[in-house]
Amino acid sequence: MKRILGVALGILTAIGGFVDIGDLVTNAVVGSRFGLSLVWVVAVGVLGICLFANMSGRVAAASGRATFEVIRERLGPRAGLANLSASFLINLMTVTAEIGGIALALQLASSVYYLLWIPVAALAVWFVIWRVRFSIMENVTGLVGLTLIVFAVALFLLKPDWGALAGQLVPTVPGQETIWTYSYYAIALFGAAMTPYEVFFFSSGAVEEGWTVKDLLQERTNVLVGFPLGGLLSVAIAACATVVLLPAGISVTSLSQVVLPVAEGAGKLGLAVVLVGIVAATFGAALETTLSSGYTLAQFFGWSWGKFRRPAEAARFHLAMIICLLVGIAVLATGVDPVLVTEYSVVFSAIALPLTYLPILIVANDPEYMREHVNGRAVNALGMVYLVIILVASIAAIPLMIVTGAGS
Amino acid sequence: MTSANQQLPIAPPVAGRILDAQVHLMDRQVLDHDGVPVTTVDDLEVSGPDLDAEIPPGTTAPVITALLTGAVLGTRIFGGRPPSSRLIRLPWKDVAEVGVVLRLGIKGEPLDASWVERWVRDKIIARIPGGRHDPR
Repeated sequence: MKRILGVALGILTAIGGFVDIGDLVTNAVVGSRFGLSLVWVVAVGVLGICLFANMSGRVAAASGRATFEVIRERLGPRAGLANLSASFLINLMTVTAEIGGIALALQLASSVYYLLWIPVAALAVWFVIWRVRFSIMENVTGLVGLTLIVFAVALFLLKPDWGALAGQLVPTVPGQETIWTYSYYAIALFGAAMTPYEVFFFSSGAVEEGWTVKDLLQERTNVLVGFPLGGLLSVAIAACATVVLLPAGISVTSLSQVVLPVAEGAGKLGLAVVLVGIVAATFGAALETTLSSGYTLAQFFGWSWGKFRRPAEAARFHLAMIICLLVGIAVLATGVDPVLVTEYSVVFSAIALPLTYLPILIVANDPEYMREHVNGRAVNALGMVYLVIILVASIAAIPLMIVTGAGS
Repeated sequence: MTSANQQLPIAPPVAGRILDAQVHLMDRQVLDHDGVPVTTVDDLEVSGPDLDAEIPPGTTAPVITALLTGAVLGTRIFGGRPPSSRLIRLPWKDVAEVGVVLRLGIKGEPLDASWVERWVRDKIIARIPGGRHDPR
C-alpha cells in the first residue's frame, strides 16, 4: 500500500512539476498564434524528456553519480566547462524567469506591483532551499501545481468545437505566419519541454533521496506516466489560447493573457485556482532551477553538495545558490520583462541540449557504471534518433532567432 | 626516445587491474573516508625524469605520486602550468579505492584541498541562522 502511495505521489508530483513558466508562456504564445498546429512538437519533446530523464535517473540509481559529474568525466574539462558555462547561464536565466513568474502571478492576485514581490519571492525560495526537507519541498510544490489542471477544466467549460480543434492538430503553417516563425516556435516548444535543468534536477534528486536499483521501477513509472500527463497539461494551455485568444487576434505578451481563457471559461473561481497553480508551478521550478545551478557547479568542481547535508557541510553549494538568487533579483530589478527572459531562455535551452544528452547516453551504456542496467537496444536506437533531432534543433536555433527577429 | 628501427622491450606482465590514467582517474570525483566529496581529480603528478631529459635505459617506470587539484584545473583548460608550490596535492598513498569514484582512506575535512570549502563554511554559511541545522 505504501508503495502504491509512493508511486501515486511521484506521478502527481511529476505532473505538477513538469509545467514551469517556460511551458506556460511558450504554450500560450504558440496557441494564440499557431493554434494547435505545433502540438506534435510537445509530443516529441515529452517523449524525449521521458527518454533522457529516465536514463539519467537510472545512471544515478545504479552508480550514485549525478549527471554533471558524468558530463565532466566523459567530455573532459574543456568541453565540460563549455557545457557548464552554457547550462549555468541558461539556468540563471530560468531562475530569473521563474522568480519573475512568481512575482507576476502574485501581482495578478494582489494588485501589488510585481517588482515589490520579487525580493519576497526570492527570499521564500532561498528559505525553502535552506531549511525544508527535499521530499517535502518536491511533493508540496508538485501537488499544489496540479491545480493547473484548471486549464483543462476551462477548456471543457469553454465548449469549443472539438471537431475543428482536432482538425488543427495537423502540422501546417497558418496563413498569417511564415515557415521560419513556425520553425522558431517549434524549437522554443521543444526547448521548453526538454530544458536541461530537468535532467540535472532529476538525477541529483535521485541521489538526494538515495535511490538504488530497487527504486528503478518507481522512477520509471514517475517519468513515463507523470511527464506525458504534464505534457497534456501543456497542450491544454495551448488549446485554451487557441480557443479564446487566436480568434480575438490577441498575441500573448504577458501572464495576464495566459490566464485570460481560464477566467473566461471558469470564471473568478477558476482564475483564483489558476493563480495558485501558477505560483506553485513557478515556485517549484524556481526551486528546481536554483538547486540545479548549485548541482551543476558543485558536480563539475567536485564540491560537497546536496540538501540532505547540513548547509555548513555543503558550504560552497549553498553559497553558489545564494549568489544565483541575488543575481536573479538584480537582473529583474532592471525592469526587464520576465516573460521576455522566459522566451529567450527556452530557445537557449535548445542550443545547449546536445552537450548534456550525449554524455548521458554514453554513460548509460557503460557497464562499469551501470552493471546489468545498461541501455537496451530499443532505448539506444531511440536515443540516437533524439540526438539527431536535438543536434538539428540546436544548430538551427540561432539562425532562426536572427531570421525571425526572435519570433516577432 | 627510441629510434624507429629499434625494437621496444616486451612490457613486463602486470599483476592486477590496468588503469588508464585518462579514462579511469582524470576528472573523477574524489570522496573521503566517509563518502563526503572532496574534489575532482584535476590533474595527476607523476614521478620520474624531467620533461625533455635524456632517459637512460633501465630507469624505473614513473609512478603516480599525487592527485592534483586547485589552480591546475585552469591551466589544464587554458594551457600553461602553475608553479609547483601552487599545486594542491592529495598523495597517492591516501587513495584507498579506485572505482567509478576515487575513495580516500582519510577524512577530507582537514586537507589542503578543502580549504576553500572550510573558509566559505566558517566565514559565511555557518554564520547564517540555521546553517548547522540538520535537514533530516
